[in-house]
Amino acid sequence: MRGYLVFLKKEIFEYTKTYKLLIMLVVFAIFGITNPLIAKLLPEILESLATDGVIITLPDPTAYDAWEQFFKNATQMGLIVTVIIFSGVLSSELSKGTLINLLTKGLSRTAVILSKYTCMVLVWTASIALCFGLTYGYTVYLFPKDETSNLLFSVFCLWLFGLFLLAVLIFSATLTKSNYGCLLITFVAVVACMIMDIIPAMHRYNPISLATDNMGLIMNSIEVSSLYSAILISCLLSLIFVSLSVTIFRRKQL
Amino acid sequence: MGILEIKQLYKRFGHHEVLKGLDMDVPEHSIFGFVGQNGAGKTTTMKIILGLLKADSGSVTVCGEKVTYGETKTNRNIGFVPDVPEFYGYMNPMEYLKLCGEITGLPKNKIKSRSEELLELVGLKDEKRKIGQFSRGMKQRLGIAQALLNEPKLLICDEPTSALDPIGRKEILDILLAAKGKTTIVFSTHILSDVERICDHIAVLHDGKLALCGTLSEIKKRHRHNGFILEFENEKDAFLFENAEELKQPSISLSRDGTTVRVFLTDRNMDGHFLLSVLSQKRLVPLKFEVMEPTLETLFVEVVR
Repeated sequence: MRGYLVFLKKEIFEYTKTYKLLIMLVVFAIFGITNPLIAKLLPEILESLATDGVIITLPDPTAYDAWEQFFKNATQMGLIVTVIIFSGVLSSELSKGTLINLLTKGLSRTAVILSKYTCMVLVWTASIALCFGLTYGYTVYLFPKDETSNLLFSVFCLWLFGLFLLAVLIFSATLTKSNYGCLLITFVAVVACMIMDIIPAMHRYNPISLATDNMGLIMNSIEVSSLYSAILISCLLSLIFVSLSVTIFRRKQL
Repeated sequence: MGILEIKQLYKRFGHHEVLKGLDMDVPEHSIFGFVGQNGAGKTTTMKIILGLLKADSGSVTVCGEKVTYGETKTNRNIGFVPDVPEFYGYMNPMEYLKLCGEITGLPKNKIKSRSEELLELVGLKDEKRKIGQFSRGMKQRLGIAQALLNEPKLLICDEPTSALDPIGRKEILDILLAAKGKTTIVFSTHILSDVERICDHIAVLHDGKLALCGTLSEIKKRHRHNGFILEFENEKDAFLFENAEELKQPSISLSRDGTTVRVFLTDRNMDGHFLLSVLSQKRLVPLKFEVMEPTLETLFVEVVR
């Protein structure tokens, strides 16, 4: 436990000193600010771009447009940036040899994996919370009359999908020696989830539904209970991937 | 019983068998020179001692406790200096030693005092720069400081001087000499002059096994050639000695370089007395009569050839 806490502190210190935390927060803060703004200004922008004789008629923007931007940005660029930032989570330490010293000092390999995963989860949580907070504030300010359903649950689903993706990432980091290998395996896992989603019966069990059904939840077109299975499976798979990472890393010859 | 004992250690990488039944016993409070060619298996042996690599068979005990692969319990008694120590470049030396101390489980006040003491020992006390800006020699010195932090009973140094300039090498050797007495040091290298300078015990690893092991004087005594160097006042005396009839035997080989004659006696029954008797008969008095001592380099070349 001591090793876990000490190494977690070191990980947080590292993300701060190497500006990775700052980059994540800035990227998600930009999304948070721009989501409602784009929703509000997009119709006016399009109208101003219209040439003579062309009439563009768009419905008045609502809070749903702002949240659509939020989920689009978070699940696309947001997750891509997250995965790229964390892709060297283990490989950089192994290739440089910085971990060897600490392992020879009694740091357990289990503590290494668990503290690295915890730190990634903390950074992801802080980033998504910041993005949500800013989007929420601006949306309430720009669209005060609009109300949304299941907003917190919908964001929770997205957050949980992030946790699942980070579990896949740490697992792939123990399998490969390079950042690219780690990125490739994570990419393959996401593509596999997308392919499985083609089968309608699989959708309710597929972790990717946590990142695709968000707008449906907000607009009440999808029932909350329909995502329970995906939540349970994502939690189980995350646990399995982290446990496998620990097992593989403990057996890895360094 | 030694502080480090290795018994019948085998390790294979694919088809290449690196260790072939290595036996090694490191006595307490010694500086143990672990010598071998590049690729001889020194680093592999050290990684097995540290539990970082799995041996195919055999056993390693540190302070009487068996080393288990993947577990790091025995490492509480070990300090390790890698050949190229790598640290977190965004930390300064004090921050790094604090991290190491916390992982080791040292009390907070002890971490601070011990870190200051060690940074002074390695000449980095006033260094406030980030480690990323350090030279290789500075990193190597910090490597020794972090390895000594938990006052280890066994300090393992994997070629700590191999990539340093002469001044950097001297600094590292001086630090290791200063640590002698407080800890047992296993010093792996292929720089034989470094070994001769600081080590009291030597082991030469060759073909997966120890080809030589013991104190330097023991090894030299064991492998001493029956050779002598005689230096004469002038070339005439040297020539007379070289051509003495008594020395024209198949078991005697001679070589002369000006006034110096080197004699090798391959017959174990012959020794210096025989040469002294020849000198006496010829009424020759050499300026110098010296038993030829093998150097570590000649011994090393001999065993690895």
